[in-house]
Amino acid sequence: MNPPVLSVRGLTTRFHNRAGAVTVVDGVSFDLARGEVIGLVGESGSGKSMTGFSLIGLIDAPGRIEAGSSVKLEGRELIGLPDRDLRHLRGRRISMVFQDPMMTLNPVLTIGEQMRLVLAAHGRIDRASARARSAEVLGRVGIPDPTARLDAYPHQFSGGMRQRVAIAIAILNRPAVIVADEPTTALDVSIQAQILAEMRRLVAEDGTAMIWISHDLATVSSIADRLCVMYAGRIVEHGPATEVLGAPRHPYTRGLLDSLPSQSEPGADLRQIPGATPSLAALPPGCPFEPRCGRADPVCTTRPEDVEAPPRGWRCHHPLGETAA
Amino acid sequence: MRDTPTGRFLAEFAENRVAAFAAVVVVAILLLAIFAPLFAPQDPYDLASLTLRDARRPPGWVGSTGIHHLLGTDSQGRDLLSAILYGLRISLEMGLAAGALAFVIGALLGTGAAYAGGRIEALVMRIVDLQLSFPAILLAFVLAALLGQGRGPLITALVAAQYAYFARTAHGAAASERQKDYVEAALSVPLAAPRVVLRHILPNCLPPLIVVATVQIAAAVSLEATLSFLGVGLPPTEPSLGMLISNGFQYLLSGRYWISIYPGVALIILIVAINLVGDQLRDQLNPRLKR
Amino acid sequence: MTGYVLGRLAQAAVVMLVMSALVFLGVYAIGNPIDVLISPDATQDIRAAAIAAYGLDKPLWEQYFTFLGRILSGDLGRSFVYGMPVSELLLGRLPATLELTLTAIVGATIVGVPLGIYAGWRPHTTFSKLLMGFSILGFSVPTFWIGLVLIFVFAVELGWLPAGGRGATLHLFGADWSFLTVDGLKHMFLPALNLSLFKFAMMIRLARSGTRETMGTDTVKFARAAGLSEWTVLSRHVLRLISIPIVTVFGLELGATLAFAVVTETIFSWPGLGKLVIESITALDRPVMVAYLVIVSFVFIGINLAVDLSYAALDPRLRKGGGR
Repeated sequence: MNPPVLSVRGLTTRFHNRAGAVTVVDGVSFDLARGEVIGLVGESGSGKSMTGFSLIGLIDAPGRIEAGSSVKLEGRELIGLPDRDLRHLRGRRISMVFQDPMMTLNPVLTIGEQMRLVLAAHGRIDRASARARSAEVLGRVGIPDPTARLDAYPHQFSGGMRQRVAIAIAILNRPAVIVADEPTTALDVSIQAQILAEMRRLVAEDGTAMIWISHDLATVSSIADRLCVMYAGRIVEHGPATEVLGAPRHPYTRGLLDSLPSQSEPGADLRQIPGATPSLAALPPGCPFEPRCGRADPVCTTRPEDVEAPPRGWRCHHPLGETAA
Repeated sequence: MRDTPTGRFLAEFAENRVAAFAAVVVVAILLLAIFAPLFAPQDPYDLASLTLRDARRPPGWVGSTGIHHLLGTDSQGRDLLSAILYGLRISLEMGLAAGALAFVIGALLGTGAAYAGGRIEALVMRIVDLQLSFPAILLAFVLAALLGQGRGPLITALVAAQYAYFARTAHGAAASERQKDYVEAALSVPLAAPRVVLRHILPNCLPPLIVVATVQIAAAVSLEATLSFLGVGLPPTEPSLGMLISNGFQYLLSGRYWISIYPGVALIILIVAINLVGDQLRDQLNPRLKR
Repeated sequence: MTGYVLGRLAQAAVVMLVMSALVFLGVYAIGNPIDVLISPDATQDIRAAAIAAYGLDKPLWEQYFTFLGRILSGDLGRSFVYGMPVSELLLGRLPATLELTLTAIVGATIVGVPLGIYAGWRPHTTFSKLLMGFSILGFSVPTFWIGLVLIFVFAVELGWLPAGGRGATLHLFGADWSFLTVDGLKHMFLPALNLSLFKFAMMIRLARSGTRETMGTDTVKFARAAGLSEWTVLSRHVLRLISIPIVTVFGLELGATLAFAVVTETIFSWPGLGKLVIESITALDRPVMVAYLVIVSFVFIGINLAVDLSYAALDPRLRKGGGR
């Protein structure tokens, strides 16, 4: 098998303040192969976005990526890399798409100018070539009449079109990895499907690997090859998407699946996971899901080990699908 | 104490050391000004006790009457420390009177406009906005110049220059308050209007108005000093800080700095302290900044 | 767009008319200038002749329309005190005030905005904290007192710079300018500094708070994620995003600086409009006062108009008649 484009080992990010440190990303590890799509799933506050920002090295103080973390992009270690070198990888080898295109694009600059700045950030380029390249990519993401649209401002695009522009900016320099942080959440459902299809096509054409961050299992399942389910900053279960969705091992994954509307009888109440996402500042000492888990027993107050059973893995004392011992 | 809302408010205020210190300074200055006759070594208005032999003496000079002039004396042999204490008194009186009057007028105008709505609201706020775009100092300056010297004209000028800030703030708060369901419900009862304005709308406008008031009192003190310095504020018989500074101006050029500089320092300490208190109040009273 | 501009122009004209009436009434309702024009023991005939000569015997509304008509034809009357046309008098003083205020506010903006952006970009450095402390002082300390301190330190004690006056001037475009000679620049330095400190503090605060707000937005995160350097993020994205409030304040402060120049010009004996208007107020020289106020209002309304129109240039969202 080819070496992974992105290899993450023990990625840990903490926010330090006077009261102490809060761990938002806790020992996250995974590999991402060329052209592969990994879905990073979890409720809000589970640390999935923070994982995304940690990968591209954009954690602002008082946050800090802790020593011992490792993020290798195409074989190159990113943790500890000088800011300047890291900056040259961002947007060129690894790029990011955000949730709300209304907020990401600068309202007072033309699309063309914003794209030119991104191109110019990674090497000298004259205006004519920048325009040509930008128009080409805008065309690829399905913007009609791309050359004319370069002179338009973000507010002159619809929500879906705006997200296409943001995607165009992300793929402008043909990155090896795209981190997509809930890129369809802010859009209408009909537009969501279009954007989803568009991104699937783009990564397939270019062989770009992608990390798709979402709280929405339904969208993730339609794009991801593999899934990582996050809870309280940790990956609690991972494996091929079909297997994880078909036969979840972690009770939390089961809970997420059960709360999907499609899993309930019409008219019946939706099943919910009881309780709320725990405060990261006050996690229980053992399994963080223990207070909300129906299968919890005294063992669960100790920290569960990683169980690796390739291609799957989980962190649970009482995984589902095992006969009770 | 910490359990009452006031107690919690004070405790939060005290957490900001700078603001707490500033608040202490403001209170100290207020006390000094109120009890100036007790603290001042000399009654600066008692012309009989002044002698020109002691005029323009540097800080630390022991005068012919045996008074130790800690901050020196002015051009008439007046003890500068005493003059400053009495001057603070006048400056604060003017600032507080103007601030209070502008507060009342502005708050009534702003909430009234928000309550009235429609054309009246549009017209009143248009005038207020127009005035806000015009420099307060120019307006106060012209009015003070036209009305002549004296307390009444000065306060009129200050109020005319400042009421608009209160009106704009009160209107903003009241307009958002009026749209809330409970006010609309209260207004649907006939003849409830004045009660609604007084009981519901006005109290909710108070926090932002208090913040504006602290800033505007500081501004009024500064403006008064500027006007008196330019000779269009108070008459020479009522030497506020601005007047003291103005009196010392001509001696500054010959190196006798203290006559102008020390009253200025007193003025600045007062204004900076009020502004720091105002900053902290703004942070505490603005729910948007609350975490 | 054209409709918007025309609407704003019409609005400005109405405001101008209202202002001129207010100014006229305000100035004419109070004080009797004839008392300062001629000595109290002048004969009744001389008095009547003077009143007739200045048109003071006519009804107020008639005086206003004569006044309005004359303004529109560029004739602002004759100064009671100087006995010369007001327009000439004001025009002669205008260059001094213009060069002083423009230097002050442009200088404050050019230096203050980058410093404020820095303070918003790195809010926790000692330098940023010092900047903020300084800006609080700059806000609180009255301009006239700073002027005195500047004179005392740089003119009296150190003797580096002159304490007042315009110094040598150069004649260009029909007016005398100080900024064209070294001596003139020396004379201008202290008053311009004095006048700029408040704006400087304001620009720092404004740029800082704008930058702090902007740095946390997704726009900046997205730009950083695309590999833009901090310099490009600040100079292209942030500067453009915070430019709207800065231009607004720049415009409004231009007018306010004209007003504050009254104080600075008095302290530094700078022979501009401000000093003239102080003199005219003490002498109850009504035509000069009225003309000054009308001109300042006019400048003000003009600036407000320019600011409104420049929004459209800065914010593309406003260009198509409101939009969303």
